[in-house]
Amino acid sequence: MNEPLNNRAWLGVLPVLLIVAFSAVIPLMTVVNYSVQDIFDVNTRLFVGLDWYRETLRDPRFLDALLRQLTFSGIVLAIELPLGVLVARSIPRDGRWVGLILVLLAVPLLIPWNVVGTIWQLFARPDIGLLGQLVNELGVPFNYTASPAHAWVTLVMMDVWHWTSLVALLAFSGLTAIPSACYQAAVMDGANTWQVFRHVELPRLKAVLVIAVLLRLMDSFMIYTEPFVLTGGGPGNSTTFLSQYLTSMAVGQFDLGPAAAFSVLYFLVVLLLCWLFYTSVIANRGNEP
Amino acid sequence: MVLANRVFDRKLRMAEIQLSGLTFRYPGAEDATLADLSLSVRRGEAHALLGSSGAGKSTLLNLLSGLLPAPAGSIFFDGGDVGDLEPWARKVTQVFQFPVLYEAMTVAENLAFPMRELPAAEQRRRAEDVAERLGIAVALKVRPAGLTLVQKQLVAIGKALMRPDVSLVLLDEPLTAAEPEHKWQLRQTLRALQADLGATMIYVTHDQTEALTFADRVSVLHEGRILQTGTPEALVATPDHEHVGYFVGSPGMNLLDGEIRSGRCLVNGAEIGHLQAADGPCRFGFRPEWATLTVESEEESATAGTLPVGVRATRTLGTVRGVPHGLVIAEPISGQGDIELVTRQDLDRIVAGPAALRIDPDRLLAFRDGWRIGMESVGSGS
Repeated sequence: MNEPLNNRAWLGVLPVLLIVAFSAVIPLMTVVNYSVQDIFDVNTRLFVGLDWYRETLRDPRFLDALLRQLTFSGIVLAIELPLGVLVARSIPRDGRWVGLILVLLAVPLLIPWNVVGTIWQLFARPDIGLLGQLVNELGVPFNYTASPAHAWVTLVMMDVWHWTSLVALLAFSGLTAIPSACYQAAVMDGANTWQVFRHVELPRLKAVLVIAVLLRLMDSFMIYTEPFVLTGGGPGNSTTFLSQYLTSMAVGQFDLGPAAAFSVLYFLVVLLLCWLFYTSVIANRGNEP
Repeated sequence: MVLANRVFDRKLRMAEIQLSGLTFRYPGAEDATLADLSLSVRRGEAHALLGSSGAGKSTLLNLLSGLLPAPAGSIFFDGGDVGDLEPWARKVTQVFQFPVLYEAMTVAENLAFPMRELPAAEQRRRAEDVAERLGIAVALKVRPAGLTLVQKQLVAIGKALMRPDVSLVLLDEPLTAAEPEHKWQLRQTLRALQADLGATMIYVTHDQTEALTFADRVSVLHEGRILQTGTPEALVATPDHEHVGYFVGSPGMNLLDGEIRSGRCLVNGAEIGHLQAADGPCRFGFRPEWATLTVESEEESATAGTLPVGVRATRTLGTVRGVPHGLVIAEPISGQGDIELVTRQDLDRIVAGPAALRIDPDRLLAFRDGWRIGMESVGSGS
């Protein structure tokens, strides 16, 4: 390696360092700072070490919310990923309708999140909602404001409606990148539809599907607006996810210390999940000689 | 090379191919991509389809394999009509321009996939045998991602030969992706394997060198028609059509407007040879190797049987017995527009200026409406 000719060249990196510092590092460190102090007012602070962390980790409401969050993310990923790939596979590769189909698919992604919540809040209402009323008239007593199970079904349906398009669009872009010769070769090998999917499409979709899983994992883990509008976390706490509990703690009760510890833990859990997923994929790739 | 326990001791029993009246037009296209095409490929023959891009080569391959349905004409394998059969049922395999493999499978699994109906032990034996012949035996347990492009294409070639009942192997410009220094070796490997197994292969290429060095017989495809099918020697010596003469050979055949009058071949009044054919205008063809230029000032100036030309330039290709050898580019002195003639000969004493062109009278060809006329050359002595 050559020595840098001019050390002042490092100044060129400075703007980026400043932007990253102000946008990410400093706010994060502020939160870390709060999480180890008990703050009464601007001048009265008390260092409490890891007390807030211990308290948070022993808080049954935190643990319940975390469990709910993991369950929710698991369910929506398990539905949206296969469904998205299925949708992508059924889009024609070329033709005059492709553009229109893609635009229609993208529509749910363009709707503001609180509007999505409102749409489903109305759609699923048992008295006037198109869906809720229909289900009730079919003889199923459906009421998402009364039954936790119904609230969950509604939330999952809403998230699937909202986000499957993203997976579908990503998967479609991956599918269009597969050369037609790969399909032709499979046809000549007598491969059936499943084998074509399993051996031709899936291996070549791997990269975009990793991105899709990461995006959906992170996003669903931070879901806030839609359940807030739809169920307000209820009935009871049955749909209170991590971000909603955090907000009620920080904004509603001004428990800044515990909320900061909560935030750091929340961040670490997301980071851990993404790292686990990503390394497992990379490790798989590493096994290929 | 052939050991007693080889699986492929016995040659593959592959098909002979008969195409007739094959016509194909893409939806919305004005001209037919293939027009009334007929072709026969013998059992165990290495056959090359030579043509420039757009000639209909890929379409013909897809019709053969059954990826495209043929709207008109018949496709017979071993006398049986396969026109309505799916690719798998036709038992056709194909090697594509770039290596097409199942990325998530190992090489051994890739080779095994087309013969997945065989018992596992049989699959392994066949895969190992072919892998050894292709020099990829060490790679059997790896995934394609770990191989070089050439190795991957060798795997794809192996995969095309795995079906025990394979009837026809199609190769669609299989060396496109290979570096020039690997092409020769790959082609030799492929040719040896083809001869060894007695495989019926149709090799599509736009590269005449590939076609001529690979194939037993070559078909030249042009604008949806086959202009000529013949041995590489026949395509060089007696092209049936101007385009074949021009397309095969490097540089291609020289073409010169003239006429035949009572067996005499005339260009601008100069007689350049004799051919038995009906009188009338025609176009004469001769390869660069068949003609010699001598500079005017020398002994042969204006003698009978030569054509006066002007030398434009020379391109040295090497030496033969110490004499510089290469191409001479010249143009007829009168009336042929900007036609360039090329000869391949010794270059000593060739200088720019007037010269006399003498064409080997035994080899001179004549074409009318594109097609060769006067099949027997008068001076050929045969």
